[in-house]
Amino acid sequence: MLNRDAYESAFARFSETLPAATIAPRRAALQRFLDTGLPGKGLEAWKYTDLSPLGAEAVAAPSVRGRPETPLPQFPGMHTRCWVNGRAPDVDAQAGPVETPSGEHAHDGLANLNAAFALPGIDLLLDDGASLDAPLHALFVTEPQGDGEMVHLRHRIVLGEGASATVVVHELGRGDAPRWSTHLLDIELARGARLRLVRLQDESAGTRGWFEARAAVHGDASLDMTQVDLGGGIVRNDWRPRLLGPGADVVLRGLMAPVGRTHVDSQFLTEHAAAHGRSRQWFRGLAWDRAQGIFNGKVVVRPGAQKTDSEQRIANLLLSPRARINAKPELEIYADDVKCAHGATFGRLDPAALFYLRSRGVDEATARALLIHGFAEAVLQHLEPAELRKAVVARLLERIGNEIDPEVLA
Amino acid sequence: MLEINNLHARVGETDILKGLDLTVNAGEVHAVMGPNGSGKSTLSKILAGSEDYTVTEGRVRLLGQDLLDMSPEQRAAAGVFLGFQYPVEIPGVSNMVFLKSALNAQRKTRGEPELEAGDFLAWVRHRVKQMKMDPAMLSRGVNEGFSGGEKKRNEILQMLVLEPRLMVLDETDSGLDIDALKIVAEGINALRSPERATLLVTHYQRLLDYVQPDKVHVLSGGRIIKSGGPELAHELEEKGYGWLSEQRAA
Ligand SMILES: Nc1ncnc2c1ncn2[C@@H]1O[C@H](COP(=O)(O)OP(=O)(O)OP(=O)(O)O)[C@@H](O)[C@H]1O
Ligand SMILES: [Mg+2]
Repeated sequence: MLNRDAYESAFARFSETLPAATIAPRRAALQRFLDTGLPGKGLEAWKYTDLSPLGAEAVAAPSVRGRPETPLPQFPGMHTRCWVNGRAPDVDAQAGPVETPSGEHAHDGLANLNAAFALPGIDLLLDDGASLDAPLHALFVTEPQGDGEMVHLRHRIVLGEGASATVVVHELGRGDAPRWSTHLLDIELARGARLRLVRLQDESAGTRGWFEARAAVHGDASLDMTQVDLGGGIVRNDWRPRLLGPGADVVLRGLMAPVGRTHVDSQFLTEHAAAHGRSRQWFRGLAWDRAQGIFNGKVVVRPGAQKTDSEQRIANLLLSPRARINAKPELEIYADDVKCAHGATFGRLDPAALFYLRSRGVDEATARALLIHGFAEAVLQHLEPAELRKAVVARLLERIGNEIDPEVLA
Repeated sequence: MLEINNLHARVGETDILKGLDLTVNAGEVHAVMGPNGSGKSTLSKILAGSEDYTVTEGRVRLLGQDLLDMSPEQRAAAGVFLGFQYPVEIPGVSNMVFLKSALNAQRKTRGEPELEAGDFLAWVRHRVKQMKMDPAMLSRGVNEGFSGGEKKRNEILQMLVLEPRLMVLDETDSGLDIDALKIVAEGINALRSPERATLLVTHYQRLLDYVQPDKVHVLSGGRIIKSGGPELAHELEEKGYGWLSEQRAA
């Protein structure tokens, strides 16, 4: 049962900080959330991730934090902007109205919860032909103070015709307390615009997170996205790009590497709504311990989207007997002149490769680490700049057990 | 240097090696020939420490050390090198990272200092040049997308970088073009020394024209059924293996 009182009182506290005029639409969103509740097993799209039992738990509005307690990662050549517990120091958090999300969401309940509590996140608007002078590193640090703290954020990236940008969305969670986090990202790329997007999810083990990105990709525009899931407790990701004009190009890459009892459910829905579009979905999953991973990659080719060229590849590596990965590439095609390929593989570390490495003198633990890193490399190699890739590799190696000196891979 | 006594090994319930004896002295090159399925690769992989086989009887010693008690990586550090009949592809692990990890791991086990990055690079480049390979291969995945011949050449490159004491080369000559065969043979000869020994598993006389063996053995049915000098290889080339089993049956 949903703990309505907890959400109501969290909202009451939160709304004390809001300008009066913005409260009503937020309250309406809260009401819709209370009517719908958290998604769970009754819904096809959420059959692997049941959040509904968590609705009974306590929740709290985000606490206000000055500065993070520990040093923050920065990458040379990037412009870092930092949000602490959902608030950017240089933005009056409650100033801007947060619109109720429109359009079709992967889940209305969560979208409304986000609308009720959302704080402003990335808001990047570029004019026609403009480009960012340095990649934007948007760092979301959370250091919760109590149980059930919620951080909800709303982001927007809108690029005009021919505009280009590189954005790194980096979520870094600290502390053990259970907490909630939702991010709603709306992307619009006008003709010929180019967006390189990296998402690093490195949340705390107590985090229940939902991240949804919707993207409208117009003719000749390109979205190149790489997502790396390193942390979190219960994580759900929804990517929903739509190719709306000829020549649109969408590449989604994903690496998940859950450990412990982490549960990561990544859903990708690429929709070809125009002819001559190209899309790729390239995912790799690694799972340890009792972790569970889900990759659901779907490509829909609408009527008239002729000459669509799409490819989906999912490869998985299970590193312990109790780890589980469900991976399913799906195709739904309503046009006849298209080229669509897909496939999924599951495996364990190749004993022949392990023996080969060991026969050259590499000890077993290092050999395993090299193979695991090698498997992830197919996604990691797309991380730029090199410092960003190194930071992610270092986190992954830490996870593997520090068997390899990162310098060896440099 | 290498002493194999009464080696018996099986895979699952199938006996493959059935009392194999072989001694290779330091400085020598021995060729092992024999029909398909006779156990040549089995022997090679057992020497390197493969866990696919169970040794049920016998002894293998390298420089007085009992090899069968050692892990594959310990054997490598002790100087064993296996040139695989079918080298494995390892996407995502570059040849450079592979060689660096292997060489430094071996040196560490032997109590030698790790090589400085610059020295290592120079050493590898020197060997790549010697094998007439494209240095760009160093940043590619281990054997990833390599042709059959390129993989074999890469085995010899690894051998030259690691400088083992015992070189077991399982059909390294198969699949090589004429020029590549010469380069590979030169690589093997470059490491020939009074402190090293070589076991060449081959089906053809040709490699032996370039790398002259001291002895030639015929492995058949899991045992060495005949040993002789280099002339035995010529005889086999001419007559095949049939006459040997007839001779044994008689
Ligand atoms: N894993 C295994 N399972 C079952 N049988 C095996 C296995 N490995 C080897 N064998 C069998 O053992 C025998 C010896 O194989 P091995 O590979 O050692 O032969 P070989 O002499 O190297 O042959 P070739 O000249 O064709 O390379 C063969 O009959 C082979 O089928
Ligand atoms: Mg063989």
